[in-house]
Amino acid sequence: MIRRSFIILRRSLRKIRFKIGIVISLVAIFLAILAPYIVPHPQEGLGYVPRDVEARRLLPPSIEHIFGTDSLGRDLFSRVIMGTRTALLQVFIVITISFLLGLLLGAIAAYLRGLVEVLLNYFTEIFMAMPTIVIALVLRLTLGHGIHVTISSLIMTWWAWYARIAYVYARGVVELDYVILARLAGLHSLKILHRHIVPNIIQPLIAQAITDLGSVLLEAAAINFLGLGVQPGYPEWGVILYESVFYGGGVEVFTQAPWLIVFPGIFLLLVTLGFSLIGDCLREEIDPRLRRRWRLWF
Amino acid sequence: MVLAIVMENLKVGYIIEDEVFWAVKGVDLVVEEGTTLCIIGESGCGKSTLANAITGILPPYALTDGKLKLFDHVVINGQLRNYNGIRGKITAYIPQNPGTSLNPFLTVEEHFYYVLRSNFKSDREFSKKIAMEILPKVNLDSSVLEKYPHELSGGMQQRVIIALALATNAQILVADEPTSFIDAHLRLQIIELLGRLQREFKKTLIVITHDLLTTSTICDYIAIMYAGKIMEVGPREKVLRNPRHPYTKMLLETTPILGVKKRLKPIPGEPPSLGKGYQACLFLDRCPYKSKECYSDPQIQVIENSHFSKCWKALEAPWL
Amino acid sequence: MVMKNPEYIIKLENVTAGYLITPPGIRSLIKTRYIVLKNINLSVNKSERIAIVGSSGSGKTTLLKVILGLLKPFSGRVFIYEYDIYRLPWRERVKILKKIGYVPQDPFKSLNPMLRVKDILREPLEAHVIRGYKESKIKSKVKSIVKLVGLPEKVLEMYPEELSGGMRQRVLIARALVSEPEVLILDEPTSALDVSVQAQIINLINDIYEQFKPAILLVTHDLSIAQYIADRIIVIENKEIVEEGLIDNVLNNPQSHFMKMAVSSYKDNKNKLKLEF
Repeated sequence: MIRRSFIILRRSLRKIRFKIGIVISLVAIFLAILAPYIVPHPQEGLGYVPRDVEARRLLPPSIEHIFGTDSLGRDLFSRVIMGTRTALLQVFIVITISFLLGLLLGAIAAYLRGLVEVLLNYFTEIFMAMPTIVIALVLRLTLGHGIHVTISSLIMTWWAWYARIAYVYARGVVELDYVILARLAGLHSLKILHRHIVPNIIQPLIAQAITDLGSVLLEAAAINFLGLGVQPGYPEWGVILYESVFYGGGVEVFTQAPWLIVFPGIFLLLVTLGFSLIGDCLREEIDPRLRRRWRLWF
Repeated sequence: MVLAIVMENLKVGYIIEDEVFWAVKGVDLVVEEGTTLCIIGESGCGKSTLANAITGILPPYALTDGKLKLFDHVVINGQLRNYNGIRGKITAYIPQNPGTSLNPFLTVEEHFYYVLRSNFKSDREFSKKIAMEILPKVNLDSSVLEKYPHELSGGMQQRVIIALALATNAQILVADEPTSFIDAHLRLQIIELLGRLQREFKKTLIVITHDLLTTSTICDYIAIMYAGKIMEVGPREKVLRNPRHPYTKMLLETTPILGVKKRLKPIPGEPPSLGKGYQACLFLDRCPYKSKECYSDPQIQVIENSHFSKCWKALEAPWL
Repeated sequence: MVMKNPEYIIKLENVTAGYLITPPGIRSLIKTRYIVLKNINLSVNKSERIAIVGSSGSGKTTLLKVILGLLKPFSGRVFIYEYDIYRLPWRERVKILKKIGYVPQDPFKSLNPMLRVKDILREPLEAHVIRGYKESKIKSKVKSIVKLVGLPEKVLEMYPEELSGGMRQRVLIARALVSEPEVLILDEPTSALDVSVQAQIINLINDIYEQFKPAILLVTHDLSIAQYIADRIIVIENKEIVEEGLIDNVLNNPQSHFMKMAVSSYKDNKNKLKLEF
């Protein structure tokens, strides 16, 4: 598997799209790590309101405030750059936990069969049918504001997807002779899962996870944009957009201050694009080679 | 004597990851109309590619060279391929796995309908009439028409496919491993059926197989293929009784025959993987009769009229 | 733990087996029995070589699963030595199943692509008798078994995808032999292989028999392979055993439909061989 991953990487690196995606992602990671040290107003980035609110409110971009200020006078540049940190955090936590949960539950259900299998299918179907926004709404009402709402509601939607994929592939592996041989040799179920089943189903799951990076980011931003996630003032692109639409006592603020949408929007767009390009290229390579043949003749 | 198939230095390769793997590395072969040729070889020798080239179902990422002529039509000329009016009209294909070749959603009658409709302008009645005429020839009852593929046994499925190929009225029938998915005790039946049909309808039949034993009963000519080249070709009796290539001889000695309990002599090594070719004789690694001259690719030796072999030692034949 | 040695190693007494299926579209939750084998009586004695033949789908694979302790029969008993294996819990059953070496059918799907050959081969040794086996003992056993099946030592570090079909089949045979079984069960050992490699495997199986004299149970639909390896033949047709006996006797005097058809495909009415070179 490791050799194959290298081959896939090497081939993807030949493509311009992939390189662009990698560059964008690396820049995003870089910004996320260094954010508090490079922004001019880290406190405002975190949401603190400056003393001279009135003077600073809704200033257009200038040398002092590169992206301008928001409706409470906070430097937008600081907020947006620190928002990179939140964005990546959300994405990685959601995907990692959904991935692990789904992998384990799917594999165990496929191996144990019987009731466990039925339950898994039942629950994955229920959770896949529920729209994320509805889950977010319920969580918001019960848990209040916070990033944990966004992350939890996304995990509750996505785990079922991974569990399904893991289950389907694991079902195929469980029938194979090397699993039968391992059982006949007296191996513990746990050992069989660990050595024979999980390593052989992990590749399509990883492919799916990488493809999902972009989607998860957008959905997280959407949840925050609807005010169902983090509280306003938090460094998060979605919520900055929320403030620009809903703050100001009914008057959409963004008509007066378009920079409030443009800059977070561009960042959101670019990072999602970067992730999607990576996911796209990798998926092309992982898919059977025959699909790509047509490229040669056009 | 009309020549149905003429191949001149035919090469077919596949483009995989920007590299070309030649499956067929230069084949010169001639098939007379109304005869049966069996192309025998192991996995990776390129015989399926050759079958696909004749039928016209090479994938778009295939590369060709040399010349292939079917009757008067030049279908492959260098890198260009032109199969207009060939597929289904001059050539018909009998695929390997009957289970996956029939559409599980269509009954046998509907299969006939769609196959005939794509080649001639026929309607349901016409295709049903043709089906009723052909099915008894493959020993199937007309009750089979309403059945779905999964309701038929493997042998019956294979016979339905043969019937479909006959229905197209194509002159050249290409059967790709027709018996590999059939149980051993039923293979001879299917092969004999093919042979009978070939004689009755006067078709040109090409059988691609690794099963030397059963298929050799119906063919007029045998061609032995190895690593993309034809090692020996000739009339059946001559090749089987008087093999002029060490590979042929070793194949004969390693094939188990029911009822004959001779010691099986395995051929050391493994068949070469797809595509790799070199200047020397391709059988060099596994040949027990090799010598200095075998480091250059053998020229075709003429043993007799229409019996050829690609081995420097074909005329002396130390293995006989 | 030496027990009284019965004559047979494996014995099936009146076994009827199959699968429980849920019929499609039926509202009730009752599963019906789909019977694949009926009233099977079979015994495998020490050093006996038996071929089980029948057409595809005749139940040969199910029979193997029953013998291997993987499929509990609807009725009847399965004995390995004197143990009624389906009366035992899985942990106990597995200890007895060690005496059986199983070589599965398809060499291309029977090896874990993520494991090196050396790890595949040591697996049967790791799981049981853990206290007795030291690491060095396992290593030397694996090395000797690889040589036994005619593979070079460097194969141990390789992954299955780097091996050809014939080599993979040898790895499977080696894995079955590593725990020194009394019975070797082979499921269509050559059907996925080229004919030039087939003879290598047949000769290997015969060499192993010469050296260790395990009982051999060979499942195949190809009689020409069976004749090379087995003395006795058992024919399964229509879910039952329809014919049984020494191979030469059965071939000369076939009773069942399967055997008659098989024999007629290689001998014509005058009893002359049809196929010959």
